[in-house]
Amino acid sequence: MGRLSLLVFGAGAIGRGYLPWVFPPDQYEYRYVEADPMMRTRLSESGRFTTFKTVNGEYEALEVPVAECLAPGESASALSKVDAVITAVGPRNVRSLGNTLRGLSLPVVCCENDSAVPRRLAAATGNARVVLGIPDVIASNTAPDRLLAVDPLGLVTEDGECFVDQAVSDLGGNCHYVDEEELDNQWRAKLYIHNTPHCIAAYLGSVRGVSYLHEAMDHPRIHAVVQGVMDEMARMLELRYRMNQGFVRWYSGKELRRFSNTLLYDPVARVAREPFRKLAHNDRLIGAAELCLSCGVVPENVILGIMAAFWYEASDDPDINIRYLRAALEPSEFLRMIIRLRPGEALYEIVLDRWDQNVATLSELRS
Amino acid sequence: MTHTSELQAALAAAVSAGNLLLDYYDEKLAVSTKESMRDIATEVDRLAEERIIKALREQADPDIAIFTEEQGRVGDAGGSREWFVDALDGTVNYVNRIPFFSVSVALALNGHPEVGVVYNPMVSDLYYAATGIGVFKNQMRLSIRDKVPEECLFAVAFSGKTFDPARRGQEFQLLGEVNDASRGCLRTGSAAMNLAYVAEGRLGGCWGKANKFWDVAAGLLLAELAGARVQFRHVDGEQPLVNYLATVPSAWDFIYERAQSALALKEA
Repeated sequence: MGRLSLLVFGAGAIGRGYLPWVFPPDQYEYRYVEADPMMRTRLSESGRFTTFKTVNGEYEALEVPVAECLAPGESASALSKVDAVITAVGPRNVRSLGNTLRGLSLPVVCCENDSAVPRRLAAATGNARVVLGIPDVIASNTAPDRLLAVDPLGLVTEDGECFVDQAVSDLGGNCHYVDEEELDNQWRAKLYIHNTPHCIAAYLGSVRGVSYLHEAMDHPRIHAVVQGVMDEMARMLELRYRMNQGFVRWYSGKELRRFSNTLLYDPVARVAREPFRKLAHNDRLIGAAELCLSCGVVPENVILGIMAAFWYEASDDPDINIRYLRAALEPSEFLRMIIRLRPGEALYEIVLDRWDQNVATLSELRS
Repeated sequence: MTHTSELQAALAAAVSAGNLLLDYYDEKLAVSTKESMRDIATEVDRLAEERIIKALREQADPDIAIFTEEQGRVGDAGGSREWFVDALDGTVNYVNRIPFFSVSVALALNGHPEVGVVYNPMVSDLYYAATGIGVFKNQMRLSIRDKVPEECLFAVAFSGKTFDPARRGQEFQLLGEVNDASRGCLRTGSAAMNLAYVAEGRLGGCWGKANKFWDVAAGLLLAELAGARVQFRHVDGEQPLVNYLATVPSAWDFIYERAQSALALKEA
């Protein structure tokens, strides 16, 4: 079998940093579709980039040739040349791919942080071969200066694992093709033991004013809160899903080490991006807290993390309006109108009850 | 230039007034009539307006004059920036307990809106926009999707009966023509909400003749920043009255051609 050709939507942390380790460039040809014009120009001019993987405290380099890098409107020309499509553009941006991919029968792997994305994209495109991919990895969209000196387009990833629906196992590569049950299991672990504490570490890091996740985890209070979040999630997963506690403990330990990985240079701004999406009722913050409460676990650490998300203030974030709303509205109005929690329900009452205390904690972190 | 503090002040003022409207929603209110039978005011209009003035004075530059529906201009004229406030847009709906009304607060620079908030407290729909920041509903950023006029629902806000009465028939004729050539044309009773709905994509367009600027200033900005095509024109030297049209791009010609003789949007 010759090299398979992949069209990857999104030349970011997962698309460039991680996927080439799963689908090695000596077996797969890479074409990208990227919205950022500067990145497109740089990739097209260079025709290659380097991804660095952290292994046992060292970096391992992999050079990736790029056949082409297209603008979103130009992707139709590439679809006839490829064997599979992979999306890594962020859940909000996948919506725009519906028209582009309509009528295709190629395998499409959605490496997105929302397990509902494949179902929606399959419905929009009429393609039954749209499946979920779960990269169990932290990948950064940048690299430390010494690696950027080697390759200005370089970026860093961990040595992770990738779980993909077995419906597209003919795609090959270094990933685990698993059945629906195992995919659900991996998704829950990723959502609640990775995503929830990961973004909370980032929001607390943002309050603290640091740039990278490992810097946030270096702060004892933040480390303790993140550990507390993992404990709350573990309890919930045991009570709600009967998830194997040995697996949960192993997963939690692995995640804590990852978040503290000083080689990764994972930007706080990347992980904290779009707080409103993460505050959606079925997502990693409000959703996780609601699940805890439904099991009788009061998730004090998750609630502090939710408050830190309310205080996220990156001026270039699409959800910058969180800052204006939080400043303008009373806490009860903010929770009711914006976060859509209902007065009288447990989470609304608990968040409101802890509001001043948690604001004080965030102020201490800032100083 | 962004308007962070003004936007926050307008948000706080609109929500505070909206809370008051909710408090009085089930009360039986004394109604006074102004220019026409449809142009009415209640004690709640005045109380909500005072609440907004207080909030704007406390939270934004107190030297900016405030133009309100009930009290007229509050503060000194002459500055380039002015607030335009309608504490209850849709008073007729409100007194009839039809849950479609809003609070509208806008900051205009030389007559052009720069900050706008429209709030329907009945459903907690909070629309807000500021130049340099964007347009939002609650937590969501808004950006309209274009569609052809045949797929659009439209809305109209009529002028006061006393404005240009000789040409009043044109307004009814336009409503009928658009109603029959699209998914329909509503007269909702809240011009501010019409424009907010254009910004959100619920309506394909709306227009109004000789509407009070405090009714529509915030909504015009919402629609414009969401990607609608918007044109408005001040039509009276003494009162702040505007004719306006706001539509999704593909519906512009459809309405504009029919509405031009009634709205006279282009300066002669």
